[in-house]
Amino acid sequence: MGYRPCGVYHQNYRQDHAWWQTRFVWGKMILLFIATYYIIPKFAGLYLVSVANVVGYTILSAMGVQLLIGYCGQVTLGHAAFLAVGAYTSTLLMLQLHLPYPITLILGGITGGLWSVLFGLPSARVKGFYLIMATMAAQFITVEFFITQYVSQIGGRGVAFSIPPGTVTIGPWTVQSDMEVYYLMVTLVVLCTLIMANLLRSKIGRAWIAIRDNDIAAETMGVNIIYYKLLAFFVAGFFGGIAGAFWVTSLAAVSPEHFQFGWSLWLVGVILIGGVGSLHGTIFGALFMTLIPEGLKFLIFILTQEPFFVNLMPFLPHLLEKFLFVKEAAFGLAIALFLIFEPNGLSYRWWQVKNYFNLWPFSY
Amino acid sequence: MVGVERRVGGFYLNVIHANLGGEKMRIKVRLSVVVLAFLIAGLAVSWVFAQDAKEVKLGALQDTTGATSDVGKDEALGVREATQYYNDNGGINGKRIRLFQYDYGYRVPEAITTYKRFRDYDKVVMVLGWGTGDTESLSPTINADKMPYLSSSFSGNLCDPKKTPYNFVYGVDYSTNARGAITYWFEEIWKKEPKWKDLREKGVKPKFACFIATASPFATAPIKAIKDQAAMLGFEIGPDYDIPLTALDTKSQILAAKSFGVNLGWHGNTTMSTSATLKDAYALGLGADHIMTHWAFDENLPKLAGPASEGTIGLIACALFNDEYPAKKKVMDYAKKLNPGVPIENRTVRAVQGWVKVTLAVEAMKRADKAGKLNGPGIKDAFETMREWQGLKEFGGQLVTITPTDHRYSSVVRVGKVMKGKPQPVGEIDMRAKFPDKWASWLGW
Repeated sequence: MGYRPCGVYHQNYRQDHAWWQTRFVWGKMILLFIATYYIIPKFAGLYLVSVANVVGYTILSAMGVQLLIGYCGQVTLGHAAFLAVGAYTSTLLMLQLHLPYPITLILGGITGGLWSVLFGLPSARVKGFYLIMATMAAQFITVEFFITQYVSQIGGRGVAFSIPPGTVTIGPWTVQSDMEVYYLMVTLVVLCTLIMANLLRSKIGRAWIAIRDNDIAAETMGVNIIYYKLLAFFVAGFFGGIAGAFWVTSLAAVSPEHFQFGWSLWLVGVILIGGVGSLHGTIFGALFMTLIPEGLKFLIFILTQEPFFVNLMPFLPHLLEKFLFVKEAAFGLAIALFLIFEPNGLSYRWWQVKNYFNLWPFSY
Repeated sequence: MVGVERRVGGFYLNVIHANLGGEKMRIKVRLSVVVLAFLIAGLAVSWVFAQDAKEVKLGALQDTTGATSDVGKDEALGVREATQYYNDNGGINGKRIRLFQYDYGYRVPEAITTYKRFRDYDKVVMVLGWGTGDTESLSPTINADKMPYLSSSFSGNLCDPKKTPYNFVYGVDYSTNARGAITYWFEEIWKKEPKWKDLREKGVKPKFACFIATASPFATAPIKAIKDQAAMLGFEIGPDYDIPLTALDTKSQILAAKSFGVNLGWHGNTTMSTSATLKDAYALGLGADHIMTHWAFDENLPKLAGPASEGTIGLIACALFNDEYPAKKKVMDYAKKLNPGVPIENRTVRAVQGWVKVTLAVEAMKRADKAGKLNGPGIKDAFETMREWQGLKEFGGQLVTITPTDHRYSSVVRVGKVMKGKPQPVGEIDMRAKFPDKWASWLGW
């Protein structure tokens, strides 16, 4: 819950429930829109655009995890499975039945959602650690067994296969280059964020939050907790399926290796760093978890191979392999430090900064 | 009175603190100035160096921290040592090679962004790649970008220029190698060794099964080919047993294989999980023979698996680090010079593979440069001019022939065996000469 800036008074519900309540916020959102649709693609260069695609993929992937863990209190460690279901559904429908991409995208989402409901069923009976184990089972049963052994064999292409260039088309528009993938990514991220934000402020969202805060209390208040938990699994799986179906366009290939247990854990890391129970947190977490490794890579490269530093300290290149481990270690340390010093994630800082300016100069 | 003294004392101390604070501030400012000066100077110098036109940029994607880092670390060292060697000896016709080496931890998304970094930011002329999953995933992209890509994955899927014109490999492709290994076992062990005499004379079909990470494109790449070869040779083919690349315990898989009664097992993972499998097979008395990919067969296998590895058969991509081969002196010298911290006795065949990889890349770049086309299509064409090229012989590699219609670098499969705790070469099969009518149809899978 944020504060309104000093001097802004609402006189009706319409104003009170508006998405963007002041002109300043409107301006900010328009700038954001221009930045994402015009400035970044025009000036950032292909490398940064491809990094942005990974950020977008991480946001889409983590959206469902945020919903389950952050808003419904159902801890999941198997979300990569639903990404895989979406990715394979979309790819195989395109390659086998030659369906247009937008249809396969939606079908990928729906299949991911239904598959997620199947593994959400135990949530009707079990909670906490037991549910974590059930969702981990989703990971191994889906990716290691169903997809690797059976689904990926459809069409006889083997366990991993590429998507021929020109397969992904939206009407007359072929999604092939990084730039085209970028526009698709931004659009999907905006749409999914809007859907999620709208759901969260509806009856459904309030039911999820009630279940998260205290499921017994929620049930006594008349919330059908089984229905809403399964709905949360469906929506989370739907977003996961969309993320998977998006990722195949970026990669032009699909393999079970992309959806390993490590990625499920990574997504939980994304929301922990970004902030559990915050939509902004999903975005901040995805940015952090993607940009920091890239930045560290850059730093290590400069230190070990840039002539200036190498001439200054000739032993540096010998430490290259050590530095590579340092990168992984530094990343682990960053997560640990975050949990200790910033347990509410990056979004909490953002909230504080925003409120500081909103309340300025009368912050007390 | 005491209170006053305290107050006075407190005040006095506060004054000192304030002064110290000012001193600290000054030190901080000075430090920042020095750091800033260094940064500016560094950027200026690097900018000056960056203007050096006599430079060829080469990207290298390595796994030194991920699932295949057991073999990836030493290859990364080899790549860097070899690049230094070629730079010390004139580079690419006088142009210095600038190596951009990054670890991607065997994570496909990171491989994708790193590749794009190579392409758009570092602007390299070619890439030395690593795993099968990422190379095959990137294949459509690199072909669209016209970026020559020499990978440590020798997947047969990457060898058909009709599908993957810009992918190259620097060893016998996985499929040919796997076919060679099973053929060698069938001809030299099954038909000759007394161990199998009873079964052989009964006319029983040998039972064959694969121990592989079934989710890994690397491990599954040659499976279709090896099963095809097994069927052709008259094996009974069993199910695949899933061994993750990071497996430490494989008893349940071995017990399942035992109930099938496997006679020959193919191990398609890297050294670490293969040695875990061999140890469990030994402990549980599987009684089968083992053949394995060259990524599992190295100096570390007997160290990790001990007696369980004795007699196992594997494929050899090039000379083992401490073997005798013509280039041994320079390989050793550069290993000692550039990586003195890594004991020589711990270095493996992977480092020599790094040399082979860089040597082949350097040759292609030299040829492209001579033709005046040191760019993607030029390097691709240069690779495709290689006919029985001898350059890799000094590292224990094969004669290289790459044509515009076939990127399989050689058809000669070299087979080794662990004897007295050491992998040693025992034979060679020329698969093209042995199966001339099949050879062409094996391209690209």
